[in-house]
Amino acid sequence: MTELQRLREAFRAALDLPADAPVDDLQYQDNEKWDSLAHMSLIATIEDEFSVMIDTDDVINLSSFAEAVRILGKYGVANLERLDGNE
Amino acid sequence: MNLLHPGARVIDAATGETLTASMVDAAAEELGPGGAVFLPFSTTISDIARYLAALLVGRPVVLLDPDGDNTHWAERFATDDVHPDLALLLTTSGSTGNPKLVRLSAGAVLANARQIADVLDITADDVAITTLPLFYSYGMSVLNSHLLRGATVILERTGIMQRDFWTAAVEHNVTSMAFVPYQYEMLRRLRFDPAKYPALRKLTQAGGRLRAELVTDFADRMATVGGSLYVMYGQTEAAPRMATLPPARLAEKLGSVGLALPGGRFAIAPDGEVVYHGPNVMMGYADTAADLAKGDEMDGVLRTGDLGRLDDEGFLFITGRIKRMGKVFGVRINLDDVEKNFPVTAVAGDDKLTVFALGATDDEARDLRTKISEWLGTHFSGVVVRSIESLPLLPTGKVDYRALEASL
Repeated sequence: MTELQRLREAFRAALDLPADAPVDDLQYQDNEKWDSLAHMSLIATIEDEFSVMIDTDDVINLSSFAEAVRILGKYGVANLERLDGNE
Repeated sequence: MNLLHPGARVIDAATGETLTASMVDAAAEELGPGGAVFLPFSTTISDIARYLAALLVGRPVVLLDPDGDNTHWAERFATDDVHPDLALLLTTSGSTGNPKLVRLSAGAVLANARQIADVLDITADDVAITTLPLFYSYGMSVLNSHLLRGATVILERTGIMQRDFWTAAVEHNVTSMAFVPYQYEMLRRLRFDPAKYPALRKLTQAGGRLRAELVTDFADRMATVGGSLYVMYGQTEAAPRMATLPPARLAEKLGSVGLALPGGRFAIAPDGEVVYHGPNVMMGYADTAADLAKGDEMDGVLRTGDLGRLDDEGFLFITGRIKRMGKVFGVRINLDDVEKNFPVTAVAGDDKLTVFALGATDDEARDLRTKISEWLGTHFSGVVVRSIESLPLLPTGKVDYRALEASL
């Protein structure tokens, strides 16, 4: 699985979405499942999946899937830049 | 009842919109006379105007979750025959069966807003920010107690996991924030530092038991900026606050939920149940529309369903529950109802529901977790499903819940 796919899976797991749910355009609070509780769960899932520790500033900045890609890039997780790839 | 002190301000952080007395008057005009007002209560200036207007013209207002399906409430409680003392109706939290409404008089709502404002020393200089839904009794009481004292309330809708919330807290010099236990867990994860918000002096906590370690942790964090943590205890049935732990006594009385609010007192019934007496106790419950015409059935006495003890200075310590109740993310749930609806044995942990399923596979456990959390209307991380080979039993043959709780 590519890093991008792993990130998509992390989002689906944390937000309790079906396996084929599109997540690339997700924004905080525009999906009803992405509330503050789900956000905690999402951060923990991403940290586990990519073995990173996300800073406080990044936790509260992570407001969309695209932003998650950008933030993970900062932590040295590569191969996330292509957002157009289909699974 | 007019809750709006002339000096009070309500500001929408995102739009800059401000509440004015004429907005409340216009909303009152629009409402006119009639029975109960059903208000899906969003954190917006217009909904607050409607809420205050209903209180002003004396129409009982039912506070509802704006994201919920609310048609059944309006159908079930449709009547023009409402008791003149009735001001506010709150849903009993939880998703079980046939939820009731808590009937609160204008006197009780006002009394509690005053009691809270007194013990938290709320003044016109205070600035609160919304951290909880306004249809939830704790969120509502933050609004009421600040409006009453001419303080400022900042409306913010994204919450503590987003940048906008913290930006608004700085920009508006917020002095006071109210959180339930799971939010304190989040704040710890965010490495919350009160020094970043120069005006912040008060954190309040209600909505279930906060573990002692976090009580001490956040009291210490606030002490570094000369501020305080207020641990509180309440129930929707008490409009909702009953006790506050004075910050100066917190370390010495760790584990206590504090002293009864001014004008209230606690007694412990012979069976150990905590009984509260005070001006803020509800008039009673409402199951049907006809109940909205009923007067006070409680006489200022509330049996809380909690077990507890009072020390020699009157500090209350909650030791357990009479009814098998739990809380998940601050929402009260009846454990017996969980067991009636799912093939599980349910126990309450700190702000989580743990259910034991006999011989469940991983897939079955996952499936149960999804179904139970959907039924509760809560995030699935609030439900823990454990597979168990056999349940521990008491000599009477009943399930040994204490043993199950001890295994958590």
